Amino acid sequence: MRIKLATLAASAGLLLGVAPLWAHHAFQAEFDQTKPIKLTGKVTDMEWINPHAWIHIDVTNPDGTVTNWMIECGSPNIMLRRGFTKRSLEVGTTLTIQGYLAKNGTNRANGSSVTFQDGKRLFVGGSNPDIPQDQR
Amino acid sequence: MKTRLLLLAALIPVVSGQNWTPPKTAWGDPDLQGMWPGNMGVPMQRPENLGTRTTLTDAEFAQREAQAKRQAQADAESTAASDSTPGIGPPSYWVERGTPTRQTSLIVDPPNGRLPPLTSEEQKLRKEARGGKGFPGEWKGEAASYDDLNIYYRCITRGLLGSIIPVVYNNGNEILQAPGMVIIRNEMIHETRVIPLDGRPHLDSSIREYMGDSRGHWEGNTLVIETTNFTDLDAIGSNGAGYPGDPGHHSRDLRLIERLTRVDANTLNYEATIDDPKTWTKPWTLLIALKRDEHYQLLEYACHEGNIAMGDILSGARADEQKSAK
Repeated sequence: MRIKLATLAASAGLLLGVAPLWAHHAFQAEFDQTKPIKLTGKVTDMEWINPHAWIHIDVTNPDGTVTNWMIECGSPNIMLRRGFTKRSLEVGTTLTIQGYLAKNGTNRANGSSVTFQDGKRLFVGGSNPDIPQDQR
Repeated sequence: MKTRLLLLAALIPVVSGQNWTPPKTAWGDPDLQGMWPGNMGVPMQRPENLGTRTTLTDAEFAQREAQAKRQAQADAESTAASDSTPGIGPPSYWVERGTPTRQTSLIVDPPNGRLPPLTSEEQKLRKEARGGKGFPGEWKGEAASYDDLNIYYRCITRGLLGSIIPVVYNNGNEILQAPGMVIIRNEMIHETRVIPLDGRPHLDSSIREYMGDSRGHWEGNTLVIETTNFTDLDAIGSNGAGYPGDPGHHSRDLRLIERLTRVDANTLNYEATIDDPKTWTKPWTLLIALKRDEHYQLLEYACHEGNIAMGDILSGARADEQKSAK
């Protein structure tokens, strides 16, 4: 599906120009494209802050120790419009994050893909065109 | 100069609804009030192969609509493929893509929909600024200091035009009116312009503002706003439109004429003419057709409260330096 999306973006570029999705901070300035990461852990906090919200998760390492990671999300404004509320992500929920490590070596990553244990995507529902406008 | 601008403005076609009469406020001004969110999807500059064509053909528009539909279907898929390789952006379904339109470019004048050439002085300035580093803009692989990043990265402002040029999120615009003034709010980055209509003079030219100093008046049903007193510290569309070829740096002499006209019940044509002879060899004009959406909620975008990315960018650059020193 990723390939499909990439193709879509490329063909859309013919007419629309290719826009960086974050449109605020260049991905490459903050994260390292050569260091993809996949993390599974339990939510400990959700920072509902601008310009990006951050999910905190506790990840258990192979040696049994636990590391707290921060995952960069979208702007709280758009997340709310997409159907996300403070109740959408309870502490203790297990998530799998795929993204890229921060260049500065801290336990931070962007969240390119954020899914629940069963593979469902985090708050995709808000983009469902069937949801009435006034309930988004 | 003013005559030149007015003449130019008169040449810009009003897209539709010339005979439509907008409602009036209780005190008799044309009523522009409401939520007018921007719609991502029209490039700033027109692809050169489209020439002077301002609208897409049926076939091109169908292609654009089909792309949008396929994207919406992909965005609505509830389950992610477990073996997928993540892209570098956020999940695609977190952004606001807008609705396809037939407009070929935001720039409608010059007729080719492209920025006029820079003056030779501006070319030199852009090349030599900050000891050859150029003006702070989109990240260029260097972050020796916060001022290597533009003021939008730093959560200060997107400037006046940047605040209204549609992007992938936070495109809310609200217009409110009171006798003798118009208020324009932009969601990103929480700007509020209070524009007097009483003919008072501009601020003294020694006073400079990122959003400039605006004065408005009515020409028929069109609100005309003239803005001067800009700084030269921001850039038009600085990382705002997100398209290659953003207009970029402007001078302190920038004089902006905005024309806001409701052309039907749900469309507000926002036209802006950028007159900055120190920067561009001739004035240019863009047109953004804003669509009314009373369900849109304008939410505070307190960008400074958690701009963790700036810290990460600077510390990431230090980490890169240490790596290359080894």
